[in-house]
Amino acid sequence: MRKSWVLVVVFLWAVLTSVTALGKGTITFWLMPNAPDETHIPWLEEKAKEFEAQTGYKVNFEVIGWGEAWQKISVALASQTGPDVFQVGTTWNPQFAATGGLERLDLAEFGGAEAFMKANYISTTYKGESYGVPWFAETRCLFYNKDMFAKAGVQPPATYDELKVVGKKIVETFGEGSAIAIAGTNAWDLLHNWAIVLWAYGGDLLTPDNEQAAFNGEAGVTAMKWYASLILDGLAAKACAEYNQPQADAAFINGNVAMCFMGPWNIAGIEQENPDLPYDVVEPPAGPVKRASFSGGSNLVILKGSPNKEAAKEWIKFLLSKENLVDYTKNLSHMLPAKIEAFEDPYYNTGVWQVFKKTLGYATAYPPLAVWGDIENAVVREFRNILTAVASGHYSEDTVRLYLDKAAEKVNEALARER
Amino acid sequence: MSSQARGRRAFKFILPALLCMLFVHIIPIFWGAYIAFIDLDIYTITRWMQAPFVGLRNFFTVFSPATDVGVRYLRSIWNVVYFGLITIPAGYFIGLLVALLLNRKFFGRTLVRGLILLPYITPDSVAYNVWRFIFQARIGIVNKYLLALGLIEEPIIWLVGDRAIYAVMIASVWKGWPFACLVLLAGLQSIPQELYEAAKIDGASSFGLFRFVTFPMLRPVSATLLLLSAIWNFHAFNQFYILLGADPGKTHVPSTFILQEAFTNFHFGQGAAMSVFLTVVVLLMTVAILRVRRRGEEW
Repeated sequence: MRKSWVLVVVFLWAVLTSVTALGKGTITFWLMPNAPDETHIPWLEEKAKEFEAQTGYKVNFEVIGWGEAWQKISVALASQTGPDVFQVGTTWNPQFAATGGLERLDLAEFGGAEAFMKANYISTTYKGESYGVPWFAETRCLFYNKDMFAKAGVQPPATYDELKVVGKKIVETFGEGSAIAIAGTNAWDLLHNWAIVLWAYGGDLLTPDNEQAAFNGEAGVTAMKWYASLILDGLAAKACAEYNQPQADAAFINGNVAMCFMGPWNIAGIEQENPDLPYDVVEPPAGPVKRASFSGGSNLVILKGSPNKEAAKEWIKFLLSKENLVDYTKNLSHMLPAKIEAFEDPYYNTGVWQVFKKTLGYATAYPPLAVWGDIENAVVREFRNILTAVASGHYSEDTVRLYLDKAAEKVNEALARER
Repeated sequence: MSSQARGRRAFKFILPALLCMLFVHIIPIFWGAYIAFIDLDIYTITRWMQAPFVGLRNFFTVFSPATDVGVRYLRSIWNVVYFGLITIPAGYFIGLLVALLLNRKFFGRTLVRGLILLPYITPDSVAYNVWRFIFQARIGIVNKYLLALGLIEEPIIWLVGDRAIYAVMIASVWKGWPFACLVLLAGLQSIPQELYEAAKIDGASSFGLFRFVTFPMLRPVSATLLLLSAIWNFHAFNQFYILLGADPGKTHVPSTFILQEAFTNFHFGQGAAMSVFLTVVVLLMTVAILRVRRRGEEW
């Protein structure tokens, strides 16, 4: 009998100590697989140790796939349990902020709003307040195959009109569909591909006050017709209509296609899949009005119900220190830092990184709205219908306007729900 | 031991299971039904206890042809009905043909019976991913054969647009017929041999045997099978989600659409309303199945 009492006491002591270990002084950090596990996990373990030595706070990290991240975060927001600090995609940040589940942050604590790339800062805001800290940034540029360009006797295009001319020459040399690979109906990030053309043609997704859809105006119709014409004129393969982004990327990386809009993360893919690919990167071509690019990336946010907000903030500051940020973006994620001071690192003045850095300078973020998800879905849905019409041969002069008007109607329906 | 004491003791044994049922099934089901009547969305999700009660509004929204979500939900219901109207009879017909063949004695019958179950026992994720490759426009073998046979001139896009639902149907029939076959084969083997002998003595042809003995005797098992298939059809999800992705566009079925609306777009109230309707439909079918079973015993 006495023996079992001893066991019970030991058990209770063990439970209590482990609970205290989990309580104050320990934070849980959720992040996405921003780098291959083999390099990512050891880096995180090392940094967590370093952080613990510096501050006394322990960090438990958990890497969550992008596919399930939205779901898991939704649950965490609703239940206010789970992670103390976590990574969110830039377009997610305002929507999660609207739920009221994220901690409002004073960016002054993290170096001030001006310390970050502007578009990334905007992505953390909701109704003028910040609910996250920009971590890393990405933008898409035009990758091109130097050999194919040389054989076709063309130079990288500076405008979207030029891209069509260059593309036609490449098709003459290498056959139909060989000029460019574009994302189609299966791409979850389809909107990013069109938005940059839309902006370059002087259009915008919404009116400046974010009250009405604006993409179905003249600029929008022209920009969408341009996108569809890539397939209709044979510059892109018809199969592109159903591609997702990785399929489009693969067509370029395998050396079958001369151009593709891709991001910095693809560089690692090229090094792995086809290191001999003779490629270079240029800024996205200019439209009649301006040059434009899409700003994406990830932010770090704190759960409102977290009992360890101070430790969570310290961890964010630690990850954003110049040294850690440069190391993480340069050697692991192959993204761009979202903090301006990190660009002082000489690495960002070399080769393709210069191009990405410059492009990121004028990159645009989507409007920070709670109903953004509905808006993006509505536009992408009609965008898909346009591509489907292209692929199935039902495309006519009126197709683009018809579907864009439809999308605008639904976007306005969604905007009416924004509070 | 008195019967009361026995009852109490039995209750203690099933109590853990009951509690599990309560927390894992019963409470979530009622909670889910309750959500259908409150305005639970992106603005209220973190304060769900205070989400306003809106009566039947969510139901009106999801069934209204005037709203975007309504149009798409109604289309998704039509899609799943159309899908079932083709795949269930097709699976039944193939299953029946093969079951009739397998009911004969031949060398290696046991092996063949095992082999035909392969599509059925392959995990959905594996099977449908393979089908996704098969239907790819550029690298898929469907287009490759169609091109080689000269039936088409250039690759067809299968998984996007109007053809998508047919691609899913083909994959689903392939995956589903062995189950029909298995059930029907069991049904065939329970038919007493004497009936056939008697019919033969009466001069029935082999078609007559099927028409007047086999088919009527299979009726109860067929009815159960078809109703079960109809129920499963109503929550068809895997084949659409894997073959067509998280957003199949015009080819949404209720399950994929509810997932997207509730969990991706944060319209939990509307998602719950759609689920409640689906549950009611499935419940009605289950009642039907129980009736059929009871009648089957009388036949």
